[in-house]
Amino acid sequence: MEALVQIDNVRKVYHRDAFEVPVLNGITVGVPRGDFLALMGPSGSGKTTLLNLIAGIDRPTAGSITVDGREISRFNESALASWRARHVGFIFQLYNLIPVLNAFENVELPLLLTKLSKKQRRQHVEAALNIVGLGDRMFHYPRQLSGGQEQRVAIARAVVTDPTIIVADEPTGDLDAKNAQETLDLLRQLNEEFEKTIVMVTHDPKAAQHAKRILHLEKGLLVESVEEQAAEA
Amino acid sequence: MKYAKLIRRNLFRNKLRSFLMIVLMGAIFFLIASLIQILDAFDNFSTGGAGDRLVVQSAFSLATMLPYAHEEKLRRVPGVVEVGKSQWLGGYYKERRNTFAILTLDADKVNALFPELNIDAGQLADFARDRQGALVGADLMSRFHWKIGDRITLHREIFPFDPELNIRAVTHNATLGSALYLHQDYFNEALKWNRVGTFWVKVAHINDMPAISQQIDAAFKNSEDPTETFTEKEFNRQFVNMMGNVKLLFGTISLCSIFMIVLLAAITMSMAARERVTEVAVLKAIGFGRGLILGLMLTEFVITTLIGWVVGVGGAALLYRFGDMAKYTMGFLPNLRIAPATAAICAAAAIFVGLVAGGLPSMKSANLRVVDGLRKVV
Repeated sequence: MEALVQIDNVRKVYHRDAFEVPVLNGITVGVPRGDFLALMGPSGSGKTTLLNLIAGIDRPTAGSITVDGREISRFNESALASWRARHVGFIFQLYNLIPVLNAFENVELPLLLTKLSKKQRRQHVEAALNIVGLGDRMFHYPRQLSGGQEQRVAIARAVVTDPTIIVADEPTGDLDAKNAQETLDLLRQLNEEFEKTIVMVTHDPKAAQHAKRILHLEKGLLVESVEEQAAEA
Repeated sequence: MKYAKLIRRNLFRNKLRSFLMIVLMGAIFFLIASLIQILDAFDNFSTGGAGDRLVVQSAFSLATMLPYAHEEKLRRVPGVVEVGKSQWLGGYYKERRNTFAILTLDADKVNALFPELNIDAGQLADFARDRQGALVGADLMSRFHWKIGDRITLHREIFPFDPELNIRAVTHNATLGSALYLHQDYFNEALKWNRVGTFWVKVAHINDMPAISQQIDAAFKNSEDPTETFTEKEFNRQFVNMMGNVKLLFGTISLCSIFMIVLLAAITMSMAARERVTEVAVLKAIGFGRGLILGLMLTEFVITTLIGWVVGVGGAALLYRFGDMAKYTMGFLPNLRIAPATAAICAAAAIFVGLVAGGLPSMKSANLRVVDGLRKVV
């Protein structure tokens, strides 16, 4: 399968005062188009850092990251921002909706950066909210929604621009079992029906089972031996 | 603008804080606009007056009165067209809070010396005929609900004299709207001093005024009552100077106010920005660029200060337009208004405050690394 995301010998070192903290120590991995990849590992293993690098919200200290044929690790901040707007959908553990905007307006946010007309934006937002089953909650504010519903709004926001890749950082980490299951089902639906490439970080083995592949990280390195094909849920 | 909704919602996300901030801004812009207008009123006073009049006062001080006998000598100075007497009395109507300008003048010389008073000929004739007649500014008439023919008694402030007057004429002159004039003869008959505070001298040619001034002062130099002659503008300016360096004081208060507002706004705006670190990180993650974040936040902060400007300057404009300013200012600033230039200066100050106070928190937000912002909660 063609690698949509190609990571070559990526290292990431954070500087904390006078100390250097190596987080990724030479990762090489490919993520094929249409993949649903779960990144697992203990705290501090570097999985969120790797996700951030794939999403273009951080840059590697060394090595290269190529997404859909473009080496994003060479982009400057401005170019990365506009690249993210077109190619990446984000799902966070705590949903991170803007509390002063309702569901419709939250989902519309990424579209404000496009040249779509107001009418076209409305159509896209309505379609995204209908996909996540919140067509009837468009004008509810985050405080008027349950955690599961908030995460579904966040998923709608992530897919509304039809991104190349969706990155999800512990998307079920703050949800109860029922809502976590619904969220994972939704991600699988996006992967299988809409062929979205998804990279998800999770601590939860049950959540990881929804992915097509699982990669384990430890101390900034891939543990090749445990790369596996997830079982069908 | 497609970002308007986002800006608007963020403006009032913390309603109490926004309300207090806007009230504070409003109060300070009200103060600044008012100070500017009061200074402007002083400037107008000190630069006002006709260009062809000289004012002769005692060389010792304005409080020292000159003898009536000076009038004839003044009249004989070449180039002098008319001479009239005038005395500042001071005083009030009924209660001390009803203090206003009360002066005497020679009733038969009003038109010759002060044509700008623009008085109805019939009323002026009535005023001149009645020794106890009063010529009253239109604002005073309105303030005390007086009408022509009313009899009023004023109370002394300086001299042992409580004038009993009949209102005979009204002047609609804008700068003299809160003044009342009575006959110099009535005043003098009561006190029998045959002395007066100032002589007002009208000259034939403006260019001759410096020479005439010198001739007048030279004529009385060796008398018991030497004179000092001013142009009317110089004379008026004395009163502003008597108040000390009011301009410096008011200017300092205005600058302190702006400095204070910048600090307070900076604190509030920093708090507002810090509360939204994660949200800014999310916006940046989904593609909002540095410039866009900076623009959105600065726009939000400038709008906040501009709302404060609307409240403060608009409130002042409405108060001065519809309030009884003659009453509130005890007759000193009956025509206080917020001029468009003042409103524009305050608007510029509001934008300045928004940009300066909001600049640092906006820059910090714009420069925020997405991973640092998300790390707060993720």
